[in-house]
Amino acid sequence: MDQSKAPPQESRRAFLKGLSASATLAAAVAVRPAAAATRTVQYGMLIDTRRCIGCHACSVACKAEFDVPLGNTRSWVEYVEKGEYPNVSRNFLPRLCNHCSEPNCVDVCPTGATFKRAEDGIVVVDPERCIGCKYCVQACPYDARFINPVTGAADKCDFCLHRVSRGIAPACVETCIGRARIFGDLNDPNSEIAKKIATNPVSVLRPGMGTEPNVYYIAADHSDEQERRRGSYVRVTTHRKEKERR
Amino acid sequence: MTQRRDFLKLGAAAAGASLTGGTLVSAAELKQGGEDFSPLSGAERTAVPTTCWQCVSRCPVIGYVEGGRLAKIGGQPASIRTEGLLCAKAQGGVNQVHDPDRLLYPFKRVGKRGSGQWKRISWDEALDELTAHLGKLREDGHPEKFMFHYGRMKASSSKLIKSVFLAGYGTKTIGNHTSICEGGKWTAQELTWGSHYDNWDFDHTRYVLNFGSNCLEAHTNHTSVAHRLVRALADRRVKMVTFDVRLSNTAAKSDQWVPVRSGTDGAVALAMCQVVVEKGLYRGKGEEFLKFCKFTAAPQASQKEKLDALKAHLASYTPEWAEKISGVPAETIRTIAVEFASSYPAVVISYRGAVAHYNGNDTERAIQMLAALTGNIDNPGGRCKAVGAKWKYPKFPGNKPKAKKLKIVDGFPGQAKLPTHHISHQVLKMIKDGSAGRPDVYMWYCYQPVYSNGDVAENIEILKDEKLIPYTVCVTPFYDESAALADLILPDATYLERWDWEDMVSPNQVAEYYIRQPVTPPPGEVRDFADVCCDLAKRMGFPLGVDSKEEFVAKSCELTHGVKEAGGFAYMKSHGVWHDPAAKPKYHSFGKVLKPEALAANGVIFDPATGVYWNWRKSKAKSADEAKSKGYAHTKNGYKGYVGQQIGDAVYSGFKPDKVNKSGYFELYSTIMEEKGLPALPTYVAIPEHQAMKDNELVLTTYKVAAQVHSRTQNCKWLSEIYHRNPAWVNPQSASRLGVSDGDPISVKSPAGVLETRVQVTPAVAPGTIAISMHCGHWEYGRYASGKRAETGSQDVPGEVIWWTDNGAHPNWIIPNRADPTNGQQRWMDTVVQVSKR
Repeated sequence: MDQSKAPPQESRRAFLKGLSASATLAAAVAVRPAAAATRTVQYGMLIDTRRCIGCHACSVACKAEFDVPLGNTRSWVEYVEKGEYPNVSRNFLPRLCNHCSEPNCVDVCPTGATFKRAEDGIVVVDPERCIGCKYCVQACPYDARFINPVTGAADKCDFCLHRVSRGIAPACVETCIGRARIFGDLNDPNSEIAKKIATNPVSVLRPGMGTEPNVYYIAADHSDEQERRRGSYVRVTTHRKEKERR
Repeated sequence: MTQRRDFLKLGAAAAGASLTGGTLVSAAELKQGGEDFSPLSGAERTAVPTTCWQCVSRCPVIGYVEGGRLAKIGGQPASIRTEGLLCAKAQGGVNQVHDPDRLLYPFKRVGKRGSGQWKRISWDEALDELTAHLGKLREDGHPEKFMFHYGRMKASSSKLIKSVFLAGYGTKTIGNHTSICEGGKWTAQELTWGSHYDNWDFDHTRYVLNFGSNCLEAHTNHTSVAHRLVRALADRRVKMVTFDVRLSNTAAKSDQWVPVRSGTDGAVALAMCQVVVEKGLYRGKGEEFLKFCKFTAAPQASQKEKLDALKAHLASYTPEWAEKISGVPAETIRTIAVEFASSYPAVVISYRGAVAHYNGNDTERAIQMLAALTGNIDNPGGRCKAVGAKWKYPKFPGNKPKAKKLKIVDGFPGQAKLPTHHISHQVLKMIKDGSAGRPDVYMWYCYQPVYSNGDVAENIEILKDEKLIPYTVCVTPFYDESAALADLILPDATYLERWDWEDMVSPNQVAEYYIRQPVTPPPGEVRDFADVCCDLAKRMGFPLGVDSKEEFVAKSCELTHGVKEAGGFAYMKSHGVWHDPAAKPKYHSFGKVLKPEALAANGVIFDPATGVYWNWRKSKAKSADEAKSKGYAHTKNGYKGYVGQQIGDAVYSGFKPDKVNKSGYFELYSTIMEEKGLPALPTYVAIPEHQAMKDNELVLTTYKVAAQVHSRTQNCKWLSEIYHRNPAWVNPQSASRLGVSDGDPISVKSPAGVLETRVQVTPAVAPGTIAISMHCGHWEYGRYASGKRAETGSQDVPGEVIWWTDNGAHPNWIIPNRADPTNGQQRWMDTVVQVSKR
């Protein structure tokens, strides 16, 4: 029941105003490489899938936090069901942007709208500079990006930058019923996340892509539909508009 | 949806701020909630502590408001139940408020009933019309012809609407929905340990044995229970075994999933009891607890007599016998029984997968027996008695009229012998039958008589018939399948726009007091029905003593010990939750030795037949002599006078009865059942319809998923986006026998009707079973649930595209309304269906 829709012409005016504001931003972006040299923080997430119950509390927390339009997801949970009766398993794989250290999306962005923040390694999108070319959507091997139909710009998880910078955990971390998610600075050896990674077998998704993800998993089930083609029963349910996962 | 204008303007501002650096907070210092900020402007969202209502767990939550609009719902970090965590469903509650198809005004039908033609009317007109109907019935001396049927009505809403308004009006023709929920489990518990509800102490347990509960996806105390279970499994490596016909997510997270034939959990539980007794595994904690158990007709049997009776009863229930019935290998049953009995404290849990059957009553009693034999009753780490808040509230001022009742809420005569929570799923059939009378006014509240019961087609036919029910009134925030058959629709507030005090069970055995308060004002002319009741009562000349639910809640806060001292209503409004920081978790409630003064009180007498001390004045007995001659067990409402149980030389608090006149023992031998011609000790009875099934037949089972709440959340777009279609699960073995392949369109046929759906061939369900979830297949309830807008008007959501078109199929069309012959529970999981390719 949204009674606060603005007339289109007003939106247009504001849109132009917004563009002028983004000029400042462009200048600031240009100086970023210098800051990168002194980067000390790399935010990351560790998801202990043993604690994940596939409840989607994270998926909905994220939807609400950002009012993500229908058809798009910044954060989601995949179910991986496999085996032969009665030896059947169903594992859950929470997904989000990996905030890679070698992000393909940044490499392909023609405008610099997508960049990796020097301060904390979070990969963000500046909607003011994004031209909606979708190169990044294609380039991401994790299907983490989409074009936001409201802004026309690329969009995805930003580790709840607006919360984290104000001292609150990301929305998905706060709500997680199994407390499966640990968020923190991977570069700080005393952080909980760094300690857990050091003391547990962990994996990242599609390591062969060379993207160096900063989202780690404990006990992730990496099964995919390929195994099905080899004759085993595997059913991956993404709970997204995109039924198939790459 | 956010405005593009704002997004761009503010997005730039926010990004600009982030470039300045220095805003980084060490991750270790990040707060786990209690605050939220706009991702666009960075402004803090206003936090309003309140309470969820998406499911019956009623978790304390915080609503976050941005620019006067509810943006988000988060966990309440101060809650000792949820510890600040929150499920998907609760967070989807934002969509309830903003549902573009919700009802904003009272509506009156103008065409034939069910024709979908409506006229918007004012509240004055609506209340005039309603008062004319209700007032006349009351003046004519027939208040019972006003039937009020609620689905979920709890805590202060229940007290104000039922105990104050309906009691003041004088009708007791009140239906609930417990028989389609968990009424059977409750009756079985009332027969064994008194009051209903079991809390599972996962924080202290060493072993979890699960019969048919999917508590990691859906539970009456979902988030509070689920997060503790995960903690036990992950942090302490507690072993969990789940018996289920289906690999639920709970089964998937268990160490072991044991598929079991539908409706045979009772056989497995009895065989486990047999193993425990045969191997002497009751020794120790179980033996200590035997003292409080009743295994024989005699109230004061010795330990030896009890054990002998037990051995004799269980002798034939061997694991080999159970294997033939359940399909679970005898060795598996034996191994798990030994593990469970050797892992004190251990908790055996159960829910509808085990109890919503023909034989569910004794399945739950057998499970109670297994817990009792191992001493895992009301102990840290075991199956515990419920602990919840005890609120005081303003009573109806003056004398209530003597209430009258139509006998239509307990099913047909003889249908169930002990329906202590009624058989409300038979109400429409009873109305059609007419032999026990019919209501002139049938009003329902937070209930979906059409969709939520079995026999959907018949429900529609009866509700549509103006000759059977002259006047139908629906109180709801949303235009659903049942509202479509109302004569008058009263637009109710969503839970995020109303007041309540709340009292759901605490999983840590310490009571939590909490309130619900409006996060945003109700839109349009929406009103909380409890407030409407205050008006109706005034119009009919019996004012309730309060003018609104807010006043009722405010007064309750000032009346309730603990809450009052903490700061009363003002404190609750700002904090949302309160618990006594000095309170110790409550265990072993049965073991208190009563002081002689308690037995010497006026009216307290001893009943030699049961060994119960009771106060006859609280029963329906007219004199002490009458009470003595009839005895405790046979005096109406004798249980209301229960004081204590003589065991040996002492009198104990025991297991206080509720609803039935049981003794203070943990009754595994039930004289009440015996006198009704039912087996006194927990006994396995096979489900008649399952005994001679044909090759093309399967047993239909229904279930719930993590992202939906039964019939009520499909209008929440964020939830329906995740879960909106529900193909029927069939095991590959069954699929090959039936000649169907994954994705095929199928017909599922039962005596109640035919359902068309698609099949999902998966090894995650036992052969012989077809599993269809219960959330889908709406044909009303707005665009997100059914693809259809409300006939009572709706709003546009510019730019929004609902990308899914398959809204699934609803299994209740083919599930008949039947009842467990003991307790009246709807037999959700028993229907035999024929499956064929379309």
